Amino acid sequence: MNSDTIRDRNMERNQLDAWLTAEQGGDEDAADTALAHLFAAVPKVQPRSVFVEQVVTTAWRWRARRQRLLAVAWTAAAALVLAAAAIAYFAYPLLGGSVVKAIAYLSGHTVPWLIAYASVALHGWLTLGHVGAVIAAALMTPGRVAAVVGVELLGILAFYALHRIAGAGRLGDAQV
Amino acid sequence: MAVQRSDAELARDARSGSEAAYRELVARYATPAVNFTYRFVHDRALAEDLAQEGFLRVYQRLNTYDPERKFSSWFFQVLRNVTIDYLRVNRLPTKSLDALQEEGHRAAAVDRESASPEELAGRGELASAIAAAVSRIRPDYREVVTLRYQEGLTQPEIAEILGLPAGTVKTYLHRARKELAEILSAQGWGPAATEPTAGKTV
Repeated sequence: MNSDTIRDRNMERNQLDAWLTAEQGGDEDAADTALAHLFAAVPKVQPRSVFVEQVVTTAWRWRARRQRLLAVAWTAAAALVLAAAAIAYFAYPLLGGSVVKAIAYLSGHTVPWLIAYASVALHGWLTLGHVGAVIAAALMTPGRVAAVVGVELLGILAFYALHRIAGAGRLGDAQV
Repeated sequence: MAVQRSDAELARDARSGSEAAYRELVARYATPAVNFTYRFVHDRALAEDLAQEGFLRVYQRLNTYDPERKFSSWFFQVLRNVTIDYLRVNRLPTKSLDALQEEGHRAAAVDRESASPEELAGRGELASAIAAAVSRIRPDYREVVTLRYQEGLTQPEIAEILGLPAGTVKTYLHRARKELAEILSAQGWGPAATEPTAGKTV
């Protein structure tokens, strides 16, 4: 064991002592600095020599794939637009009149039905709301209101407690 | 003398399609990234896989990076999300502290048998003891300890990465240091001890 190694080890021990003393004395800043110095000696996991190359290759493969996909998507979109334009240009004189007629016919028949259904549904909701209000007015007394609010508060508290327990266990259970 | 480009500049160039800029960025953060993930999975190959996934996600989202923000904070945030996603899907087997301690003693014993005294001294038993102690503290404490003391990030940066209030990070750091101090003291490291016993029963 050479003198440099012994000196390094002594330095580490001194830093450890400084940290533990600061920690015991409640000196936050000194403890923070001392532990930071100490950590410099903790061995680091070195990635394999091919790691950087592997990462760059993976990213560039993804980039090439994405560029191919984008090219295909743009080509398909352009082809669709061209096809639609060609159809519109050549077939409009034949189909244009029929399409307009069909749209007018469908709207004329469906819109009145939609309005009728919407009116019936609205009427139903209003009736239900009225019935609900009458029942509530008949049943609710201050005591009952207090009981319902109490039960709701308990429920909220229970959900909150469950959420906290689940949150605490999320990472903690994965690895000690 | 060549001026070293900032992380933000490299990120901007990588986003514009510069492979060299991305390569330099990866080279700069390869070791911190692998060390960060390693603290959670304790498996070197898996840590590298997660780091690689993190780098890929960073590349895919370079267009969302705000150069006003510190790159390292953003990078570790992405890497942390990758690690958490992995841990959620693949729950690692939970081990009791006793089992971990036993495992640590076995590993330390094997280490001592296979290494020469010079190697042992070079590696630093204290450093190994600290690394082992870090792996025993709570995962959220381990996270702040790794980011603060291993990666040298400031408390506000850690708060930004973890999405926690600065006060919580400070509390976590305080408690983590206390736990680390207790673990190491219990193993015989400390001002009173002359020669620590790594294999000592706690």
